[in-house]
Amino acid sequence: MDLLMQFLTNTGFYLADYRHIIMFIAGAVFLYLGAAKNYEPLLLIPIGFGILVGNVPFFKGLGLGIYEENSVLSYLYFGVTTGCYPSIIFLGLGAMTDFTPLLARPKLMLLGAAAQIGIFFTLITALVLGFLPKEAASIAIIGGADGPTSIFLTAKLAPHLIGPVAIAAYSYMALIPVIQPPIMRLLTTRKERLIRMPEGRAVPRKELMIFPGVGVFLCCFLAPASIPLLGTFFFGNFLKECGATERLAKTARTTIIDTATIFLGFTVGASTQGDVFLTAKSVGIFCLGAVAFSIATASGILFAKIMNLFLKEKINPLLGAAGVSAVPGSAREVHLMGQKADPSNYLLMDAMACNSSGVIGSAIAAGVLWSFLI
Amino acid sequence: MIGLENISAHNGWAMAFVGISIVFSGLILLSFVISQLHRILDLFERWYIIANKNNHKNRKKANKKCGTELPATLTPGKTATPNKTTEEKHSEEIIRNYKMITHRMGEPFSLPKLLDLAEKRGLNRPYSTVNMLIASEDIVSDGNGFFVWKR
Repeated sequence: MDLLMQFLTNTGFYLADYRHIIMFIAGAVFLYLGAAKNYEPLLLIPIGFGILVGNVPFFKGLGLGIYEENSVLSYLYFGVTTGCYPSIIFLGLGAMTDFTPLLARPKLMLLGAAAQIGIFFTLITALVLGFLPKEAASIAIIGGADGPTSIFLTAKLAPHLIGPVAIAAYSYMALIPVIQPPIMRLLTTRKERLIRMPEGRAVPRKELMIFPGVGVFLCCFLAPASIPLLGTFFFGNFLKECGATERLAKTARTTIIDTATIFLGFTVGASTQGDVFLTAKSVGIFCLGAVAFSIATASGILFAKIMNLFLKEKINPLLGAAGVSAVPGSAREVHLMGQKADPSNYLLMDAMACNSSGVIGSAIAAGVLWSFLI
Repeated sequence: MIGLENISAHNGWAMAFVGISIVFSGLILLSFVISQLHRILDLFERWYIIANKNNHKNRKKANKKCGTELPATLTPGKTATPNKTTEEKHSEEIIRNYKMITHRMGEPFSLPKLLDLAEKRGLNRPYSTVNMLIASEDIVSDGNGFFVWKR
């Protein structure tokens, strides 16, 4: 009987408290959004399930938890804390990205830069609220709307915040259809939304092949701290474009990125143990993340409007919202918003150009912040 | 510490200003370079053509001295397609090679068989070449799992 009682007191049912229940609900919401609503399912489902697994109450000291030494989960989590998974994901992302629209219209790259204003605005705001500089930088990078970049920088600067930062970054990426359209409507007129983008020039294959080299040379030389992200990103893109390594490119953009995404999502979810995650800081991070994301969207749109003051050939300011690096969610949202105003207006390719420049921009911003605070 | 004091104490203003300036300058520089990339490549291509022409002229002169003449097809200005770039000639050659194989197979043809025969004939990088031919729409799907030549 004693043995049975001892066993029962060690079960999750006995050890559970309100924090575990809150986190279970959060995990269920993620699973619901991913599976039923189809909001970024590839990210939300591994994270959601990770939250469930990570919040099963257990007896501390058995080497089960993600924060316990030599546990299986801690080994899987190693890829997050060292920044390996984000780097691998960038390799796959590079092998997926088609830079043709960006090379056809290089000025759209400025919109990717403008959207990064959100990061630095949030850095200031987080400092105002009393966060330490390293924490503030980790929170600010959420404005880049790039999950792997956010995780990478947070792992380097404020590892204790990986859970809340990653959850906030991926939540806002999934909530793009909810967050971005009102900002787009608010900051643009119908006339501006009707602007059509002219067809870009044809881009020869040679240019696509040379671009990754140019990218590495300029971006990584300028901000060497972005090498782990941009180095693999451009490498993946070169695998795709050179034509001789199609098999490797295919593996990078399918098997490799999928494997890394599964482990990253699952372990980040599992790292949100109620006792670690449910703090006032996490609430602050969520609020600041929303601010960062909104400011990034708004600054992209406003910058596009400023550019239009000087350009003969006007650009559709909606494209500025795609300057955040949530690929391809924000590009899709811009395209849909453009089509609501004019169903025959096709903005997707131009929005993808802004998106890919946003990926480069946020990786540079992460590198810059890391080098400032190292 | 909170408020503006915290920003000043941790050099926040400078971090934000320098940070965004670096991001902007990096992307402006990249955008400028890629906007000029096609011009730089054109320049290289022209330089390459001129260098080739000079080589031909020198060889012609040398051959004349030896009393031999270059064949007409190798003489610049007398070639069948004088304005074609090296890349175009190369892709034409690729198409010719693959058309020779598919001629025997008949159209429509299956890609695995084409790749198999191309490998057996020792053609260079058959997978990426066939992929390139599909991407350039020289080879198109007939909708039934087979492929045909577009031109």
